[in-house]
Amino acid sequence: MPKCQTKYHGETAYDEQATLHFPRGLFGFETETRFLPIERPALQPLIFLQSLSTPDLCFISVPVFLVDRGYALSLRPEDLASVGLPADQQPSIAKDVLCLAIVRIQQGSPTTANLLAPVVVNLRNSKAVQAVSQDQNHSHQALLPAPSEEFVCS
Amino acid sequence: MLVMQRREGESILIGDSVEIRILSIHGSRVKVGIAAPRSIPVLAREVQMVRAENLAAAALPSNAAMAMVASLFRQRPPETGPQTSNLSDKTA
Repeated sequence: MPKCQTKYHGETAYDEQATLHFPRGLFGFETETRFLPIERPALQPLIFLQSLSTPDLCFISVPVFLVDRGYALSLRPEDLASVGLPADQQPSIAKDVLCLAIVRIQQGSPTTANLLAPVVVNLRNSKAVQAVSQDQNHSHQALLPAPSEEFVCS
Repeated sequence: MLVMQRREGESILIGDSVEIRILSIHGSRVKVGIAAPRSIPVLAREVQMVRAENLAAAALPSNAAMAMVASLFRQRPPETGPQTSNLSDKTA
């Protein structure tokens, strides 16, 4: 099994089959085309997207439904085609694609999730794209579900 | 903001070096051609926003902050907007 250096989890052995291929990279990281999804039991449900070419680059993400239970995809035909999905219909989350929101954790500001540009993985071929949603109501800085009341009071 | 009305095929000039031409209009979609020197970046606004968001998200959070966010997702299944507003309708 090949091994890679990771940002958060030291050296990790991985299965080549598990890697995600982003033909266009991610916005701002256009040359980063191979990522390894990593889950850690203690940090579930976070999914780490570790770059296989840059050890210091790792995104933290969660399935979109954990941020917005009613999330609906609204992808452009060219984005769908870029990962080998039929361009004329929206794929079904969980059945056709894995849909992740990149989470931004920053000290001193609220943690937010990027619902405007989710990472969409075609489950059949592991090709992935970060696609800007056509639904302008999707925020690039969606706040996480509001804390329960006892959380606020304490 | 300056507002100008343009028809298909018409252009707007910005300074000496940038031309924006309305190529076609189909329903709610407008195809725009932009001629600008390479030194001027041209980006859809949302792409610029997502790029900045990715750069910020790639910054290193502390392990404690990560654990806190993970537990946040585990503790509370998200409430959807409509449900919350239904609730307040009933109590009103």
